[in-house]
Amino acid sequence: MFIIIALIIFNITLLYISIAKRLNSYINLIAFQGFLLFVIAFYELSEIHIINLIFVLLETVIFKTFAIPYFLKKIIKKNKITREAEPFVSNFISLLIITTAIFISFVLATNLEANTEKVIYYSISISTVFTGLFLIMSRKKIITHIMGYIIIENGVFLLSLAVGNKMPMLVNTGILLDIFATILTLGIFVNKIGDVFKEVDVDNLESLKD
Amino acid sequence: MLLYYFLGTVILSGLIFYIRRKAFTYSFAVIFVFLQLGLTAYGIINYRQTDLSFFSIDPLAILFLIILSILTIPTFIHSFIYINNNLKLNIDKNSAIYLSSIVIFITSMTGVYLANHLVVIWVFLELSTISASVSVYLKRNAEALEASWKYVFVSSISIAFVFIGILFLSISMQEANITDLSVKTLKEHAPELNTQWLKIAFVFIFTGLTAKMGLFPMYTAGIDAKDKAPSPVSALLSTALLNAGFVAFIRFYSIFSATSIKVWMNYIMILSGLLSVFVATVYMMKVKNYKRMYAYSSIEHAGLVIMAIAAGGIGIFAAIWHLVLHSFAKSALFYQTGQVFRAFHSKSISHHGNYFRINFAGAMVLVIGFLCITAIPPSGMFITEFFILKSFFEANMTWLIIVTLILLTFIIYSFSVSVFRLLYGDNKNITDFEKINPLESATQYVFLGIVIWLGFFPPQILLDLMKNVL
Amino acid sequence: MLIIVLAIISSLFYVGILNRTRSIVSGRKGPKILQPIYDILKLLKKGSVYSETTSIIFKIAPAVNFACVVMALLIIPFGSHKGIISFDNDFVLFAYILALGKFMSIISALDTGSSFEGMGAAREALYSMLVEPAFFILMGSFALASGDTSFYSIFNSIHLHSYISYLLSILAALVLLLIILVENSRVPVDDPRTHLELTMIHEVMILDNSGFDLGLILYTSILKFIIYGSLIINFFIDFSTPTLLTIVIFLAGQSLIAIIIGLIESFTARFRMNHNPQFIFAITSMAMILFFCILLLKGLYI
Repeated sequence: MFIIIALIIFNITLLYISIAKRLNSYINLIAFQGFLLFVIAFYELSEIHIINLIFVLLETVIFKTFAIPYFLKKIIKKNKITREAEPFVSNFISLLIITTAIFISFVLATNLEANTEKVIYYSISISTVFTGLFLIMSRKKIITHIMGYIIIENGVFLLSLAVGNKMPMLVNTGILLDIFATILTLGIFVNKIGDVFKEVDVDNLESLKD
Repeated sequence: MLLYYFLGTVILSGLIFYIRRKAFTYSFAVIFVFLQLGLTAYGIINYRQTDLSFFSIDPLAILFLIILSILTIPTFIHSFIYINNNLKLNIDKNSAIYLSSIVIFITSMTGVYLANHLVVIWVFLELSTISASVSVYLKRNAEALEASWKYVFVSSISIAFVFIGILFLSISMQEANITDLSVKTLKEHAPELNTQWLKIAFVFIFTGLTAKMGLFPMYTAGIDAKDKAPSPVSALLSTALLNAGFVAFIRFYSIFSATSIKVWMNYIMILSGLLSVFVATVYMMKVKNYKRMYAYSSIEHAGLVIMAIAAGGIGIFAAIWHLVLHSFAKSALFYQTGQVFRAFHSKSISHHGNYFRINFAGAMVLVIGFLCITAIPPSGMFITEFFILKSFFEANMTWLIIVTLILLTFIIYSFSVSVFRLLYGDNKNITDFEKINPLESATQYVFLGIVIWLGFFPPQILLDLMKNVL
Repeated sequence: MLIIVLAIISSLFYVGILNRTRSIVSGRKGPKILQPIYDILKLLKKGSVYSETTSIIFKIAPAVNFACVVMALLIIPFGSHKGIISFDNDFVLFAYILALGKFMSIISALDTGSSFEGMGAAREALYSMLVEPAFFILMGSFALASGDTSFYSIFNSIHLHSYISYLLSILAALVLLLIILVENSRVPVDDPRTHLELTMIHEVMILDNSGFDLGLILYTSILKFIIYGSLIINFFIDFSTPTLLTIVIFLAGQSLIAIIIGLIESFTARFRMNHNPQFIFAITSMAMILFFCILLLKGLYI
């Protein structure tokens, strides 16, 4: 039951992300999503081995809730990125699109699955993936692209929790994806891009084209 | 053996990174090449056996493993030439990182070929993304950074997509009470799976894998990387990694094609393939840079291959053969771009001309490579493309043959315009060009020879391998 | 009849508590709790002045608006008491009777011919349009959950089965609280304390009203707070609650909502005008998520 409430709140954070104006709100929401994932994992993965469970919980708390937001803030500070998110479309349109995405994923999930609790899982994780993709497409800064990617990862993690009890290996692999890809994108490239380009903006990344 | 191989490659890549004396690096590279060849020999001897419980040596794996091992040798030769020519230094830190990432890159592709478990395939695909992006970023300038950033970002998204697809697949497996994600089990139980979930799983897996295969939705991942990477890495990206994408895809396809969604799936694959050929045609008409042109040519060939797999029948055999020949022809052309760049200090087509006078051996490579890659006889690819079109005909898709042939005509035209400009064009204003040792083109001649030879006299054992891939 | 008595009692101190909360947070002592009611009484004793350009609409609008709000109040059930007007789908009548009152105030603002009031009327119309789906999706989803369509039976059958419905009620209460802020033009959508006509919504529409009419309008807006507040309270009581306890819950709940709104007004700033539509639409989206969850949980939990 707590799972469902946490999932609903998770879904509401997506709406908030779509209309947030400052990078700081994005980061706080990502941290909050990490915390919600911790709650969901704690209640959901009751059947898996205790050591594995502890590993998953530590990953959600330490990595998703604290480490990623910390590094994001650090990168913003280090590269002196301005605090606005700079979307290409207005926030109202973003909100409309995210709402439509949530609607579509609910319809999709109800068509695919009969078990109600699972439908909520699937639909919310699919809509999270959509939201992440939309953030990547509609925001201007590289740092918001990375945030969109992290939101996609959260969606993937949520989806892997839905099957996690029977196949804990998939949850662990999802965590592997999290850690590797995030460290690679955050740790190495953004720092390098900050060093090479003065403004960390996709406008700088348009020298390669046909 | 595989355990020793993985351990050995990790140790070797560490040693290459830490010990930066030239003689040591050379010998480590030689040891790695022998390790790779040794694994291939082991694979041939222990054909159809399982190793480390997640890896098995089946026809598809051994075929592409042989190609990768052959490609390893010129990769290192040209990498060393590249490092010595472009940096004029002893093995510095960046080059050491580059070489050790290439070792990991080749290892991860070997892992993709040999793995028989979906999650293991996925892990090695992710590893190949990471190592490839590091090796693209050798030059440490803004453009290389941009290319590798785009590559790593798009590939990360695509790899997440593949994982979502695997998760959806596992949801349908839970409904059928299967928990083992190995290809063999899934193939046996495939008809029991829920087709709705399979469809959505296929959409995600296919979209994700197109980044590696170089097909329509996510082909952009590779183009900039192939352009800005050192030429040996470009060659690996558009041949061995493309093959790795196709091997992974065929593993998934062999599961999905045992279910009732096969027809639906084939439509999606043909759509994606046709759009890939179309996109490649459009961009090759306007592209101003050799490496990008070759990269788009890879997209065209990948499109042909995926359409052939979708057409089925003889198409699958033709597709695999096409991939084999494409690997050799395209890598020869990419190695040659390194020499062209050193001759003109530019990749732009408008800065080139009269390459025959500057480097006769290299120019001959370009002529033969051009014939091979555009499938003009005596190229072996002519035969495979013929088989591919035949498979379309057998699948009652005559319209597809017509559309494909029209697009291929445009591609041959634009390809020949730029290649002949390079070979015979006017270049009076270019004065100082570097003399290039003809011996550097030796491996390319060998590869192009293989393409022609395999077209005319394919060994029976190779044909048997290619017929048994699914 | 109980609800009307309670509504009148709580309307006496509602805005007083709200203002007192704001004053305490900002470190002032603040006016008396009953001061807003004294003001309204003072206004009600006075006569009205009408502009020469206005027609009959301007004169009847405040009275019609007041009548509509009172009628909406009659529809709301209370614990074991049905609303005085109660039938199937009465929440539709509830929404549209309030909309009728709002329509009257909009056209009366247009009637004055003032450009400021026209602007305020346009904003009011837009925001009502955006917030209306939120209310209907919310009530519709609870109607779906309970299988009944009148307020009384919806509120009484929500809590019968499991206490997940209480958690859903909390989310519903949140959505309704946001609807209150929009419907009554409070911070962060509009700031009733500003004195620049360009940034106002509701206040700018009543610039020309005076005396008795103004008093009626002010009292109507207090009643609107009470109406939505009693909807929220209805989510947490049902027919099994003793009547005395429901009265206590009602008065305490209204005060709590007033305090919450006061706190929101103290700690948030008004949005820029062009950010309002997305805020209001977000309420609708939240209601939609709630709707989907209730849809999915139907048959499992409720």
